[in-house]
Amino acid sequence: MASRRRMLLKVIILGDSGVGKTSLMNQYVNRKFSNQYKATIGADFLTKEVQFEDRIFTLQIWDTAGQERFQSLGVAFYRGADCCVLVYDVNVTKSFDNLNNWREEFLIQASPADPENFPFVVLGNKIDVDGGNSRVVSDKKAKAWCSSKGNIPYFETSAKEGFNVEAAFQCIAKNALKHDSEEELYLPDTVDVVGGQQQRSTGCEC
Amino acid sequence: MPSNSNSSPSSSSSDNDDRNPNSNPDPSPNPKPNVKPVSIDQSLDAIENQLASISMSSRSPTATVDDEEEVGEEEGQPVEQLKITNGSLSEEIGEEGVTDSIEDEHIASSSMAESSGVIKESPPFVWRNNLEAHEVERPLSPSSSGYAGEMGSTSGGDEIIDDDEDGNEIREVGNDGVLGSHEQRISGKRHRDEDDASVSWRKRKKHFFILSHSGKPIYSRYGDEHKLAGFSATLQAIISFVENGRDRVKLVRAGKHQVVFLVKGPIYLVCISCTEEPYESLRGQLELLYGQMILILTKSVNRCFEKNPKFDMTSLLGGTDAVFSSLIHSFSWNPATFLHAYSCLPLAYATRQAAGAILHDIAGSGILFALLMCKHKVISLVGAQKASLHPDDILLLSNFIMSSESFRTSESFSPICLPRFNPMAFLYAYVHYFDMDTYLVLLTTSSDAFYHLKDSRIRIESVLLKSNVLSEVQRSLVDGGMHIEDLPVDPISRAGTVSSHLGQPRAATDFPGRLGDAFVGIGGPAGLWHFIYRSISLDQYVSSEFSSPINSLKQQKRLYRAYQRLYASMHDGNGPHKTQFRRDENYVLLCWVTQDFELYAAFDPLADKALAIKVCNRVCQWVKDVENEIFLLGASPFSW
Repeated sequence: MASRRRMLLKVIILGDSGVGKTSLMNQYVNRKFSNQYKATIGADFLTKEVQFEDRIFTLQIWDTAGQERFQSLGVAFYRGADCCVLVYDVNVTKSFDNLNNWREEFLIQASPADPENFPFVVLGNKIDVDGGNSRVVSDKKAKAWCSSKGNIPYFETSAKEGFNVEAAFQCIAKNALKHDSEEELYLPDTVDVVGGQQQRSTGCEC
Repeated sequence: MPSNSNSSPSSSSSDNDDRNPNSNPDPSPNPKPNVKPVSIDQSLDAIENQLASISMSSRSPTATVDDEEEVGEEEGQPVEQLKITNGSLSEEIGEEGVTDSIEDEHIASSSMAESSGVIKESPPFVWRNNLEAHEVERPLSPSSSGYAGEMGSTSGGDEIIDDDEDGNEIREVGNDGVLGSHEQRISGKRHRDEDDASVSWRKRKKHFFILSHSGKPIYSRYGDEHKLAGFSATLQAIISFVENGRDRVKLVRAGKHQVVFLVKGPIYLVCISCTEEPYESLRGQLELLYGQMILILTKSVNRCFEKNPKFDMTSLLGGTDAVFSSLIHSFSWNPATFLHAYSCLPLAYATRQAAGAILHDIAGSGILFALLMCKHKVISLVGAQKASLHPDDILLLSNFIMSSESFRTSESFSPICLPRFNPMAFLYAYVHYFDMDTYLVLLTTSSDAFYHLKDSRIRIESVLLKSNVLSEVQRSLVDGGMHIEDLPVDPISRAGTVSSHLGQPRAATDFPGRLGDAFVGIGGPAGLWHFIYRSISLDQYVSSEFSSPINSLKQQKRLYRAYQRLYASMHDGNGPHKTQFRRDENYVLLCWVTQDFELYAAFDPLADKALAIKVCNRVCQWVKDVENEIFLLGASPFSW
């Protein structure tokens, strides 16, 4: 039997409430969009199988709640993430300003081995709104911030129209994969009898 | 052919209920679970009165309780009759009450006849078997024949399926009691195509999950792990949310379902079950599941997670689905999973001695443990110096070996870890099958000992052949161990004569048609149906062979669950508990715990209490009489 090794990538989506995290995920996974806003409670989880360079892998997407009251979910949520997606609304300055906080928070909580090179992706969402007239964060400003943080890839998206969503997630997957290549040999110890194995079962503890 | 047995039609059909969601239209109208195990160590009358009144108000606990069991088998219970019976009982149980005595066969058999007349609504197929038994063996009581007529008219299509199933199982189970066809169902993961959106997946009665502390799936009993990644993340979120509040989630009840959590460092294990097994039992099963994982990988996996929380463990467990599946399956048939004791293949003392001697001979030379096993039963085992082997390790090791096809086809040398011996490090296991069922395991600490162990095996094999051990093993497989029908009438006088032997009186056992005969009859004296005896000092147990009316896998599983509950209630931490006598619509269950042994016995639900107690004494005596055939003595793995 060919043991085609499948990979699973944990992707966390962060950003202020209402920037469209859930919509982006829904657009990507289900190709659906709804204008109705439903606040995410705690977190939502979706999976999507993706093919990339003749490998199939699964994205496990953790869509978190933007509201502050859910921030206590903390460490556990961020632990073991392969990629972190930071989302802001190009029509809301505050949501862009907060990207820094989200990034810092993530790095503190997840404490990845190599924080400098941890794969982030930034998405500027809702570019469709009002034909782009209500936009307050410029493409330039966003890119500048991204490059200052170690060249984070940047995408402008519209979850509503499905614009750039696929491309963004392709990049997310690619980045997550890149950092997952180091594979170690699994080599546990062997029982050392001479050293005296102290482990002694004491019969039944029932 | 060996490989074909995996897909034998009977083995798959016995599994139908589990697999087919439609076959189980959940028995919603079951008011409140259960005859509560209630208290132990009370006056028996009190217990019985309680039980009687509970069974008045609630119907059939077990119909909904049992995993993979179909519903509608019990259409209302003989509650009234039970009550009458209860009313007439007044003995006290207790150690003084349990005294040796000579059985009054007359009373026993008449009470049996009465019982088969009274319990009209019991599982039809069982009683039909029973009836046939009567017809063959002894004249029918009028009430029984009346019952037969009724049966004919009430059995519907579903029951016919049961009968088929039953028929198959009788043949298969006959040889090996506990094991029977169960074991042959081992295969890779079933229902791989399912995920948490599938209706069939949601209807499964018992799920097991292993995931990492980052929410990455590692194992799921049903469905594809990757498709269940979202579900797995949800489980992790629940665990972590509680952990964040510096607490731990152990159990969540949601309607009929229990969600049991076990956190082992970076590994999370979850069971979701609507089988109504006690929490302690489910938790114990998760512990074993974890142990099985440790056996394959050692606890060093934790280091991988320390270094790299995103570590994806699934690749390390590649190809081990069948190992976990078969372990999970054993949670519903193998008493070793809750007794934490191992069982031996019944063998003549001299035969076991011969096997032990040769194992002992080679055990000195760099071999840490040598085990000769037949299926999940021990023929003999030897440990070097002070090394000791825990029964759970034996269970996990034999499960690993038996469920990995590759061990059967060639001699193998494989790293394994014994979690109770040393969870941190590997040993190396040399495994060789002598025949379909019998295999040798030599455990060493040296990774280059293969050829040495191969030589040892050749020496062992030649001795085993010379002393006929292997053929005796095959014979034992056919004959089985303790048959309740053989329970000696007067063990005391018998013990005086030539030492008693198993199998000896069963002269009929050698011809092929005898299996049919074995299931004729109505169980043992005083309505004894089955027993399990666990020797505490030996860490071993013996279980009687199944016989009528515990014929079908379904029946056996229900009894297994009843024992499991009984065990849990006797070991609930509020002990020590000494005796328990319970009567419900399925059984009389009697449990007796002393410093030396634990006895679990199941009787006809209408069995007389005083007689049941006497029979239990006879069982204990019987076990003592034949202990050198059913147990591995003198070589207790803990006495080295």
